[in-house]
Amino acid sequence: MRKLLYTLVVLMSMSIVSFGQVRTIKGKVSDQNAAALQGVTVRLQGKTEKAVLTNTKGEFEIKAQNGDFLLFSFVGFKTERVKVAQAIMNVTLTEQVNLMDEVVVTAGGVKAKRKEIGTASSIVKAESLVAGKSTSIAGGLQGKVAGLQISNTGGGINPNFRLVLRGQRSLTGNNEALLVLDNVIVPSTMLGNLNPEDVEDIVVLNGSGAAALYGSQASNGALIVTTKKGKNGVTQVGFSQTTTYESVAFFPKIQEKFGAGGSGYGVDQFGYGNFSYLENQSYGPAFDGSKRPLGPPLADGSQDSTYYRFYPGHNDFWEKGLIKQTDFNVSNGDANSTLYFSAQYVDQKGTTPSDVYNRANVRLNGTRRIGNTINITYSTSYTQNRYNTTSATGSMYDQMLNMPVNVDITRYKDWHNDKFANPNGFYNPWYPNPYFTLANNRATTRNDYLTANVEIKFTPIKGLDFVARQGITTRNNSYKNWTGAFKYTDYAKHTDGSSKSDISASVSDGMSYSTQLLNDFFTQYKHNYFTDYSLNVILGGQWQQDQSKSVGVSANGLVIPDLFNVSNGVGTPGASEANYLSRKMGAYADARFGYKNYLYLHVSGRNDWVSILAPENRTFFYPAADLSFIASDAFDFLKNSNTVSYLKFRAGVSKVGQVNLGPYSLLPTVYSGSGYPFGSQAGYTIGNSLVSPSLKPEITKGYEVGFDLNLFSDRITSNVTWFHTNTVNQTVTTGVSQTTGFSSLLTNTGETMSEGLEVTTHVTPIRTKDWNVTVGAIYTYLNNNVLSISNDIPKLSLATYGNGSGSWAVANKPFPVIMGYDYKRDGAGHVIVDAVTGLPTKSDTISVLGNAVAKHKLSLDGSIRYKSFTLSFLFEYRGGYQIYNSIGPGMDWSGTGWRTALYDRKRFVFPNSVIADPANPGKYVNNTNIEIANGNGNNGFWTDGINRDVTSNYVTSADFWKLRELSIAYNVPAKFLAKSKFIKGCTISAQGRNLMVWMAKDNYYTDPEYSSAGSTSNGIGLTGYEVPPSRYYGATVSFKF
Amino acid sequence: MIKNMKNMKKLTAILLSGVMLLATSCDKYLDINKNPNSASSATAELILPQALNYTAGLLNSFNTYGAQIGGYSANAGGYGGFGTAFTYNFSASDYSGLFTSSYDLLEDYQTIINQTSTDPNYSYYNAVARIMKSLHFQQLVDTYNDVPYTDALQGGLKFLPTYTSAPVVYKAIADELDAAIAKINAGAAVTAVVPLGTSDILFAGNTTKWKQLANTLKLRIILRANGKVTFSNTSFSSDGFLTADALINPGYLRDNGRQNPKWNTWGWGYTGSAGNKAWMPTTFARAFYDGIKITDNGRGKAVYYQFPTTPTNQLGQETNSTVTIASSPEGSFWFPSSVRVGASAGNATGVLKGPNAGFPLLTAAESYFMQAEGALKGIVTTTTAATAFSNGIKASFTYLYTLPDGSISGNPTADAATYLTDNPTNALVNFGLATTTAQQLEAIITQKWVALNFVNSEQSWNDYRRTGYPKVISTAGATATQTFASKYSESTRPDKLPTRLLYPPTEGSYNSANVPKGISPYTSLIFWAQ
Repeated sequence: MRKLLYTLVVLMSMSIVSFGQVRTIKGKVSDQNAAALQGVTVRLQGKTEKAVLTNTKGEFEIKAQNGDFLLFSFVGFKTERVKVAQAIMNVTLTEQVNLMDEVVVTAGGVKAKRKEIGTASSIVKAESLVAGKSTSIAGGLQGKVAGLQISNTGGGINPNFRLVLRGQRSLTGNNEALLVLDNVIVPSTMLGNLNPEDVEDIVVLNGSGAAALYGSQASNGALIVTTKKGKNGVTQVGFSQTTTYESVAFFPKIQEKFGAGGSGYGVDQFGYGNFSYLENQSYGPAFDGSKRPLGPPLADGSQDSTYYRFYPGHNDFWEKGLIKQTDFNVSNGDANSTLYFSAQYVDQKGTTPSDVYNRANVRLNGTRRIGNTINITYSTSYTQNRYNTTSATGSMYDQMLNMPVNVDITRYKDWHNDKFANPNGFYNPWYPNPYFTLANNRATTRNDYLTANVEIKFTPIKGLDFVARQGITTRNNSYKNWTGAFKYTDYAKHTDGSSKSDISASVSDGMSYSTQLLNDFFTQYKHNYFTDYSLNVILGGQWQQDQSKSVGVSANGLVIPDLFNVSNGVGTPGASEANYLSRKMGAYADARFGYKNYLYLHVSGRNDWVSILAPENRTFFYPAADLSFIASDAFDFLKNSNTVSYLKFRAGVSKVGQVNLGPYSLLPTVYSGSGYPFGSQAGYTIGNSLVSPSLKPEITKGYEVGFDLNLFSDRITSNVTWFHTNTVNQTVTTGVSQTTGFSSLLTNTGETMSEGLEVTTHVTPIRTKDWNVTVGAIYTYLNNNVLSISNDIPKLSLATYGNGSGSWAVANKPFPVIMGYDYKRDGAGHVIVDAVTGLPTKSDTISVLGNAVAKHKLSLDGSIRYKSFTLSFLFEYRGGYQIYNSIGPGMDWSGTGWRTALYDRKRFVFPNSVIADPANPGKYVNNTNIEIANGNGNNGFWTDGINRDVTSNYVTSADFWKLRELSIAYNVPAKFLAKSKFIKGCTISAQGRNLMVWMAKDNYYTDPEYSSAGSTSNGIGLTGYEVPPSRYYGATVSFKF
Repeated sequence: MIKNMKNMKKLTAILLSGVMLLATSCDKYLDINKNPNSASSATAELILPQALNYTAGLLNSFNTYGAQIGGYSANAGGYGGFGTAFTYNFSASDYSGLFTSSYDLLEDYQTIINQTSTDPNYSYYNAVARIMKSLHFQQLVDTYNDVPYTDALQGGLKFLPTYTSAPVVYKAIADELDAAIAKINAGAAVTAVVPLGTSDILFAGNTTKWKQLANTLKLRIILRANGKVTFSNTSFSSDGFLTADALINPGYLRDNGRQNPKWNTWGWGYTGSAGNKAWMPTTFARAFYDGIKITDNGRGKAVYYQFPTTPTNQLGQETNSTVTIASSPEGSFWFPSSVRVGASAGNATGVLKGPNAGFPLLTAAESYFMQAEGALKGIVTTTTAATAFSNGIKASFTYLYTLPDGSISGNPTADAATYLTDNPTNALVNFGLATTTAQQLEAIITQKWVALNFVNSEQSWNDYRRTGYPKVISTAGATATQTFASKYSESTRPDKLPTRLLYPPTEGSYNSANVPKGISPYTSLIFWAQ
């Protein structure tokens, strides 16, 4: 095809007269990978008769004058226009993908042209994914795809991410997007364990309809990750080194005026609580800079001390993290086979002192053609990661926040040698030294992952393929968590109200594996009928097996204190075992009908059989259909338009079933009771879960409509999609009254709805030889609601704290909402306070305090290239939602919380409050002068339930802006590299991620992306003692050989 | 074209056979949903021992609740954040585990009842489960008043159980005890009856003792109902009342999860780590031993560490610039021994005794004091109040002098006699000095209060709320020996004490239509309370 095209170009060339001083220009044309391009048309602008073609080495010779413009054109590449200035001209052409004909991988690994697809999809290319040098794919994807929300739910090293497409559908089941690696479904944990440098591209199928061929898991949309392959005729070796620093980007806001003490130690003449040398609560007097003792005298008579002023130790506690990343890859290919090999090593030191992590990754991908009919493709990767972290992040952080700010925390790092940092001599008898806690509670984890995928494709006749595929993902894990022993001296145990108690050593150890096997077999038949009609039919079957097992052992009271082995404990070791096996089969049919290259109808149907449900409910069928109409190819006036270069309308409808249930859930369970067996006497207890007898799959039905519009030769591109889905038959575990004898019920009930708008638009205002500027915006509007749960269950707890506050699904509210206690308020929302004490009253029951799902998401990205420099940036905004910060009550308890000093620890009038109007019962008047008496002290307002138990005090706006990525790269020009004959390319870049964060004003606490409930819970909207969010900045140098 | 058709036919054939293969192997491939992790049912023999052990664990929680509210324990030095334990302004989550754990456990007993109701061979199991069900429903009523009873424990059949009025529950559980005794008697006549055997970790299969327990529990119900419930039958079976301590012991030992629960809470963990050090004895309670109210050197030394100088506190008093509150030693002040090495401590008298001690379900002392009250009120005719009172004191000395292995340290009989002579003019000790019925009742209840100190503390708290004994003085400036109310009490009651707990938050969340509203910890009385 290519040959034919350039012959045509030559034939069309007409003779033309030349002027001026003509000389011979020589040069070489190559692609971005420095491979020679043969058959490139080189001609003088406006003088087509002078066209020549490059030879096999990419060389050309043409006669031209200085000042002329040479045009280099080649099918599949962008045309370059270069001014003639010298006799040797080496030109690099960049590949140009015609958006309409771009081939993308869709469900089932089937390739389709973009124009044929009637549902929304996005492609994220390798260079975009790794621009910020995130060590995890999820981090690299943040903010880059409309409709996809990626939240870093935990912070720390190798943090977890939660990926949700188009909002949450399932009330308590899985809502995370399906992850597909080289056409094989893999667990979402792989996102953090793949080498992002290996990724060729990621296709995001936003809707369930598009992904339906992957089976029921695809009801949440899918991310299709394709790894790199070698290219025919190209041999390339790459090496790069990245160094990234990590530092805390946002600290909880703490007060800086008051130190240790409280009214429990008496009050001074101003009513401030007295100073206490051992108190953890910061309700003492205002700072005066004097030198004060800290903690009781030690046994040797010495006593710690501090200046009574603010120290920034709470921020300095967190260290500067360092990530070192080394990458190597080699690829090669010929007409029959290709090979891609890569290796990566990532070594990370976190912001939490002594938390470390490393990951090593190797990959081998290849293809091989055997004869004319058989193609074999394989991709394999092996990853191992190792963690060594503290297992007590939460308590460490709590202890740290309980240190008054007149204590310079960083002084207490050397707890082994410094007698005041040692637990025996540490000033506070109740909250241990956080440095000791983090060192004495450790978790080591190792994970080894193997993913492999082989595909054999048999093409007996043109247009007919038989494809068989076998995928495996297996994880092998082990961990050892331990707590060290500590024996306090008698003196430490009995000084000044001490509650120090000896710590006995314990260890827990476990191993697990999980293996996912996936077989696909399908046949595809493609044919064009007459000239206008095309048909592409697929029939296939899929078999999936998920199996896992974990065994854990634990021992306490270790006899040899520093031997962390489960055989070293006293008493009977704890032991646990869990097994998991589920299978799924699917049979599917898929057909795509085309008419005249501008109208495509796509229909698919799949039937699943699952082992998890009862035989009578285990089979279910779901169909999908979509339509694509390329108006710009159908209508002449658009075809010939200089404005519109591409206009496609699309629409899709779908139904997908999902089984949101683990195996073995259908029967009640009985468990061996606590302590049992006692000798030979066993004892069993009835489990607390009820199961409704005939559970069925959850069904999601939805539609989407949209259009893609490109203007001015694709200088402006845009995609707009509106979607709407309803999910019924929710499989829900709901709490039930314990008086039934049980505490939870698993049943089918409830309906959720998700709808929204996805808009992506990019503009390239400047595109010249030296300059290329592209800016864009991605906007997502999401309306995600719970429509109903059931008559008996008006609300469903997703993740809650002991008092019932937390993240809930509530009928006719956003999904989810934050519920909790509020103050009693009048009709206008003012807080009602007592006319004498000035104190508000806590509400009797929990109520909805906020919407936990971001309604608006906006990303602004841009790329500016000037000659060899490229600057790119990405901002992300989320807004229209709230978050509950559970760190808040703890900070107010300790008195370090910013709120506690809002009124300088004095009496104050509760803001926006009202009191009962004595003249008009039931009416309220503004309270301007009745003060809360006790704004100070550790029995005062700030530490009381009336402040800390009122959830609404800590529900803040979750809105934020983040500068997600900023990078500047410099491609060292070829002329500098020419001296060394082997270096073909060199890029130096500096990049940062999450460099800047702008939180809502009332958010004193932490990153609203966090989720205390974990990355797999739908109970979003809650943050806690996660380590503070980080910014990353570093530099990369990479070479190509 | 013809060739193509052939290909198409072949293709169709291949696909069809594929689909056939899929369909036939389908069931075999998918029938793998049998649970390899947990069983889905268990026999009565397997459920009973665990349920009885759970009862011990739950009674331990009730003891903690009774001790903290009922005047036996106060906050120790070194701890803060007691919140509603100081104010009594309870929130729904305070002690909420008492409610939920009771129903969780009741489901186990109910399962035994359901599984055995039609099988005469399992009459004993059926009866035992009914007796225990009765015991726990009384605990629930005594703590929460109206509770779900008729609609409760029906699983998926009744998701929103309605609340049964407390007197109705009382009547029903008294009937349940009669029915249980009848079941045991009927079972004795069944040749193939399955013995309780080793599943009975309370009475080792002794059905007479089970019937005595049933009688004793029925006595507890009738005494507490105090004429406010019309029972179907107020007589007791001829088996009599418990005369020995009913101790649950599945084989407690110093091991992971296998220690006596009270020891595990207050003493030491099996690794030797200290238990709860946040609480210490009240000044009010020690006054019944140290001579301020009563002199009781025998039991004082058997129960308290460092008696008679055991540090004490009044609830609410914290260390400040003028007062220092002693911190609790490891192993708590309720462990009298001076041998205090966590990994080997034990083998002592008193209330904790050791990791291997049996857990008191109902002591002989309580049985005797209830008989004394029953005799006083004409409910019990088999003994006199004075005899039962005297037996109660002796039984209390005996229980507290008993070591974990059942052997007795010292001479409880002699010390009980000394107790009478040490308090020659005290009508709370020498029953003969109590002349009026009110004085006699005060003596009985006060002695019971002493006998149940940290043994079954919740029963004392119930008695206090019913009778007002032991007497407290709550006028302004009352000392720590006169009242056990918290210094930070927000109670509106004259005695500055709360009167009940609130229903747990789970009822508000999952059964909100039925759960009683407007419950106050100060004014919503249990039906038998003052």
